[in-house]
This record gives sequence, structure tokens and C-alpha cells, in this order.
Amino acid sequence: MRLGTRRLLDRVFTGSGVLATLLMGGALLLLLGPIFIRGWGAMCFVATVEHRRFLLEKFERGNRAAMEEELEAARRARAPVYRLLADFEQQLAEGDAAERARYAEPLRELKKALQALLGPAPGTARPALLRDQYGPTRWDRAQVKLARVLYREEWDYSDPGRSGIRRLKPRAADFAGTPLERLFPYLERNLRSMLLPRRTFYWRFLTDASFDAHCFGGIWPEMLGTFYLTLGAMLLAVPAGVLAAIYLTEYAREHWLLKLLHTCISTLAGVPSIVFGLFGLAFFINTLRVSPSKSVLAGAMTLALLVLPTVIRTAEEAIRAVPQTYKQAALSLGAGRWHAVRTIILPAALPGILTGIVISMGRAAGETAPIIFTAAVSVGKPLTIWQTLSQPTPALSWNIYNLATEHAAVEEVRHVQYGLVLVLVTMVLVLNLLAIVLRACLAQRTRA
Amino acid sequence: MVAALGTGGLLAVTCLSSLAVLFIFYFVARDALPFFRLRGFREFFTSTRWYPTAATPEFGAAAILAGTGIVTAGAIVMAVPLAVVAAVCLSDVLPFAARQVVKPVIEMLAAIPSVAYGFFALVVLAPLLQTHGGRILAVAQWLVGAPLAALFIVVLADGAARRVSDRHRAGARWLIAALSGGVALAALWCGGRALARLHIASGTNALNVALVLGIMVLPTVVSVAEDALQAVGRELREASYALGATRAETIVKAVLPAAAGGVLAAVILGVMRAVGETMVVWMASGNAAQIPRPWYNLLEPVRTLTATIAGDMGEADHVTGSIRYHVLFAMALCLLSFSFAGNLASGWLARRARRKLGG
Repeated sequence: MRLGTRRLLDRVFTGSGVLATLLMGGALLLLLGPIFIRGWGAMCFVATVEHRRFLLEKFERGNRAAMEEELEAARRARAPVYRLLADFEQQLAEGDAAERARYAEPLRELKKALQALLGPAPGTARPALLRDQYGPTRWDRAQVKLARVLYREEWDYSDPGRSGIRRLKPRAADFAGTPLERLFPYLERNLRSMLLPRRTFYWRFLTDASFDAHCFGGIWPEMLGTFYLTLGAMLLAVPAGVLAAIYLTEYAREHWLLKLLHTCISTLAGVPSIVFGLFGLAFFINTLRVSPSKSVLAGAMTLALLVLPTVIRTAEEAIRAVPQTYKQAALSLGAGRWHAVRTIILPAALPGILTGIVISMGRAAGETAPIIFTAAVSVGKPLTIWQTLSQPTPALSWNIYNLATEHAAVEEVRHVQYGLVLVLVTMVLVLNLLAIVLRACLAQRTRA
Repeated sequence: MVAALGTGGLLAVTCLSSLAVLFIFYFVARDALPFFRLRGFREFFTSTRWYPTAATPEFGAAAILAGTGIVTAGAIVMAVPLAVVAAVCLSDVLPFAARQVVKPVIEMLAAIPSVAYGFFALVVLAPLLQTHGGRILAVAQWLVGAPLAALFIVVLADGAARRVSDRHRAGARWLIAALSGGVALAALWCGGRALARLHIASGTNALNVALVLGIMVLPTVVSVAEDALQAVGRELREASYALGATRAETIVKAVLPAAAGGVLAAVILGVMRAVGETMVVWMASGNAAQIPRPWYNLLEPVRTLTATIAGDMGEADHVTGSIRYHVLFAMALCLLSFSFAGNLASGWLARRARRKLGG
């Protein structure tokens, strides 16, 4: 090959390597970008008066007198809407039957859309579901609801080869020539004064209980559940893992048993997480019966098993990295083996062991598959310590899945989903940063 | 006496935690065997009819096994070239300071919980693919295809021109380059047009999952492959440089062949990670138990072993002992055996590589 071509190929090679690393960084940004931007919106958003009303009624938060005033203002702004509706209904009742039949269906749909936008009409019975008792709490959702009042969806299935095409028809056209026609421009112009949007920082999203399957309130049960599961898993895995690492490094002699143990540990590390879940169900719940059905305890045991290989391996590495001279010095001063391990080797290996623990904490907090059958439920109250022994809990990871796929109103709780992902990802990343810092400390100490 | 007891206790704890994997094998196999005893092996592995809730239930898992294979293959095809190049870059190209920045990025990619990846696939990527999928694919094809084609043309022109006499060599090189460049451009143009016109019925399909799984597999493959490349040592590299090879030639012709075993071990670990991943495939693969037509069509929804276990156990666990319960354990046994085999293979490869480089 020509020298020029060879040089070109070499440059391309270097360039593609750099490009590949940049792509990895890009993938990370692409992933974290939407999560951080939209997740932040779970706490920092433009809230309507309905949000403030909910907080006052459920948590007694906010100034009652100021709230009354605000509600009164909103009521005044909404009054023309209901007056127009009432007038139109009156007119229909006095008009002929054909007219009534013609408008029955559009009117019913309009009222439903209006209820979604403004909450139940004054004077109607209190709906059973909490989510129907309030209008939209977030301004962005209110805009969507407004669009649904202004426009009616129509699906066009005329081409059988393709999926249906959505068309938007203005509702105003349905009511052309009636007094109700004026309703739509009024809504469009005055939505602000009807819902009184205001920018809020709802930090209590993290510590509030959730209401009506996350349509209102925060994510405290999930936070607590993840905390219990992670803590439980660590309490079980760390002592066992560190003791095993001590045995493997300091006590065991090179023979077949050691090889077998190492093979077992690396196999355990490769077992798919869903299989851990099945095992937890078959062993901890169905065989050992640690709890009548799913429970935090069973979930923590399963997670402990999952992180055990990581704990053992990192602890083993950390202990092996302690210079032999330390141990020899201790032994020559007359310390017993266990004494040397306890007073010299473990303290020296501590940062390394902690790194492993912190990383496994992140892993335990983020895993979903092992807790599906052993610990997770989608809706639950915050548990007390004693209840964790026998009761299942919601958890951040599980509820991300659950809210994103199985919730009755996925779009309505999108902000909660993003909030959950943000909290979980932040938690895991902070733990990992901590591990990186710990490792840097360790490197510095060994260099010194 | 106390010391012996202590050592015994330590041994017991160690054995308990290491032999847990045997427990897992035992319990999964114990609940999987009733299925095979009742229905035999043939239906499970060869039939594509998965109707566990029908009046006469059928448990043909071939389509589900194929689904796992398809998304894994897709993820590996996308991730491995990128990961190997990145690993080479990390071990041989980047200066120390840059490496200190890239390492945490890889660790973060590995640390992000799978459910967050799944959420991304379902909520961000799927709508994007559904509305702009064709155009994205066309752009991706240009981005990947054009540089590759250019590179290929340069090498081809260079190689072909060597057969021509000295006097016409430069002209022949340009002629060949222009001709093949034209062909490549035309091919890329047509391919791009075809892709841009592609209609993607649903964003939750095998392509989506393969993409996200590819990103998830990256950190595993990169870090293990990088270790393997580092293990090759300076002597080999310096010998190659001394013979006048460029860096690219050194790596492609000397380092990579020497580290092939380790890189292959890394790929196997990546495959295991992709096969065992649950949340992403459960959320974003579409969960349709069918073999895509044609089989390489990544734009159709698929269903994998892990997603089937996760999705069906919720309904099946109330009837412990039913055949529906046991078939899921049969699937888990497949996963477990696969991961065990993969582990043994990668361990063996890594050990062999170490022996070869050490000896």
C-alpha cells in the first residue's frame, strides 16, 4: 500500500476510535437529557389553582383566606361558561325533539371535556374518583384538556392498508348558530383567569404520599420502599460478602474447593436478574415461607443474593491490594490471624470494600426484575419497619414500569413517571460518583 | 479451638454465599421439570404457537426463543464494532487524562438502572421511531455507510492500481475511485430513499430494543475488551512499531489477534447481558410472540424469554403448580443454562488468553 494511504488509514482509525468514545458520551447525554429536563418538571412546574386547592384540602397547606379569594376569582371567571351551557340546555328543552336529539351526543361529549378541563360543574354530585373531583393541577395538562374541548378527534380508516389517521374537528362547528358557539372563544381567551396558573416548586413531591394511583401527591411510598429494599439487601449481603472475601483471601488454600467457589461466584454474577426473581418466589416465598406472599423481606433477600458476587469480588480485590508487609508486620508482632485481619487488613482495605458496597447499593436500588414477584406492588402505603417483614411495598423501579405501562391514564401521570426516573437515576449516579471519589482517595493513599 | 471454629464459620458463610447458585439451579430445575415431564421437549423448542391461556393451551416457545435471539443479535451487531473500537481507543489512543474522563462515563452507562433504559425506550425512542423512523434510519445509513464506503474505495483503488504499470498508476487510481465512488453513491442514495419511505407501524419493536440493548451492552464489552487489550503488553506493540507499522496496523494486525480470546470473552459477556435483560424488552419490544417476517425484519414487535417470564408470572403465580407456572420455570432454566455456558466459555477464553500471553 502507498504510504499516503497507510497514513490516511491510520488517521481514520484514530478518528473512529475517538468518535466511538464520543458516541458513548453522546448516548449517555441522549439518555440523561430528557430524564433530567422532564424529571425536573415533576417538581418545578406551572400549577393551577386546582393544585393549590388539593394541597389545602388534603394537607392543610397554604393560606386558607387567600385561597378562598383565589377560588372565588376562578369561580367568577368560570361562571359565564356554565351560564352559556345552562342557557343552551334551557333553549333545547323548549325547542323541538329533533333539535334535542341532534345536540344530545355533542353536548354530552362537550360536558365531559369541560369537566376534564375545569373539574366537576358547580351543583353536580361529587364524583367518586379523586381524579374527577379536581380539574387539571398542571398548566401543561390544562392546555391539552383545552384542546380536547376545542377540537373533537376523528379517525379516518378509509385506507385499510394503514393505521387510522387522526383528524381534529373544531367543536365550535358542531354548535354553529347556537349560543354555545361563543363558549369556545371565551374558553380560549380566559383559561388563565379560570385556572390561575402560577409557577411553583413542589419539592414535597419527594415526601408526599400519593393519591388516586399517583394522579395527585408525591412518591414517598416508593422512596421508602426502595430505601427498605436497598437497606435490607445491604444488611444481608455485606456481612456475608465481606466474611466470604476474608475467607477466600486470607484463609483458604489453593485447592479444588477454592476453584469451585470462584466458579460458583462468577456464575452467580452472570445469572439473569429475572431468574433471581423466580428463585426468590420459588425458594424464599413458596418453600421457606419467610412471608405469606410478597414482602420487603423476601425482596431484600433476593436482592442480597443478586449483589453478593459484586460485594465478594470487590472486597476480595481490596483485601488482596493490601500490601503483604502490613500483614507480616502484624503477625510478627504476635497478633493472631483473625486479630491481624480485624485490626490491620480490614481498615486498610476499607475504602475498596466501601466502593464495592456503594456500587452494589446502586445496583440493588435500581433492579426491577428480582422484586416483581417477591416484593413489589403498584399502590401501597408507606410501611413501618415491622411491616416490612410481611408486607409488599411500592418501589421506585417497579413503579416506573407500572406507571409507564399499566396505569389507566398513562399520559396524565407522565410527570410522575419522569420524576420517579429522575430520582432513581440521580440516586444511582450519586452512589456511583461516591464510588469514584472513594476510589480516587484510595489511589492517592496508595501513591503516598 | 476457637480459631478452628471461627475458620469453620467463615467457610460456612463462604460456601453458603457461593453455593447459592446451586440452590438457584436446583429450585429452578425442580419447578421446570414438571413441564417437560408433562409436555415433553418437542413442542417447547419447535412449535411457534404460544397460547398458554387457550382452552387447549399450547406452549410452543420457538418464537420467543427466536425473539430473544433477534434482539440479542441486533444489539451485538450494533454494539460490538463500536465497543471494540472504543476499547482500542481507550487502551492505545487516548492520553491518560482523557481516559480518566471516559471511564466514569462508561461506569455511568453501566450503572443506570435497566428500568430507566426501558422507560427511555418506551417513552422517548418509541414515539420518535414511529413518527420519524424512516428518516432516522436513512440518516443513520448515510452516516455509517458513507465513511465506510469512502474508506473501502480508497483501499480498493490503491490495491487495484498496484497491478497497473507505473506510468498509468495515478490515472488508474482516480478512475477506479471515481467509478466505485459513483456506484457507492448511487447505492447509498437508493438505500436512503427506500429507508426514508419506510412505514413503521409501531415504535415498540425489535429495532428499538436492539438499539437500547446495544447501549446497555457497551460498557460491559468495552471494559472487558479494554482489559484484554491492555493485557497484551508493550513488547508486542513496540516490536510492531519497530518494524515500521503504523498504529492502526499494529493494533489490527498484532494486538487484536493476540487479544482475540479476551475480546471474544467480552462479546460473550455482552451477549449474556443482552439475553438476560428484562425491563427494556418487556417495556419496549411489543411483546408479540411471533417470528418476524422475514426473520431479520427488526421493525416488527417480538417477545423474549425474560419478558415472557416477567409478564406471565404475575397472572400465573396464583396457581402455583399449574403448567403455566412451570413453563415459565422451563424458560428460566433455558436462560440459566445459557448464562452458565456463556460464563464457562468466557472464563475459559480469558484463562487461555492469560496463559498464552503469560507463557
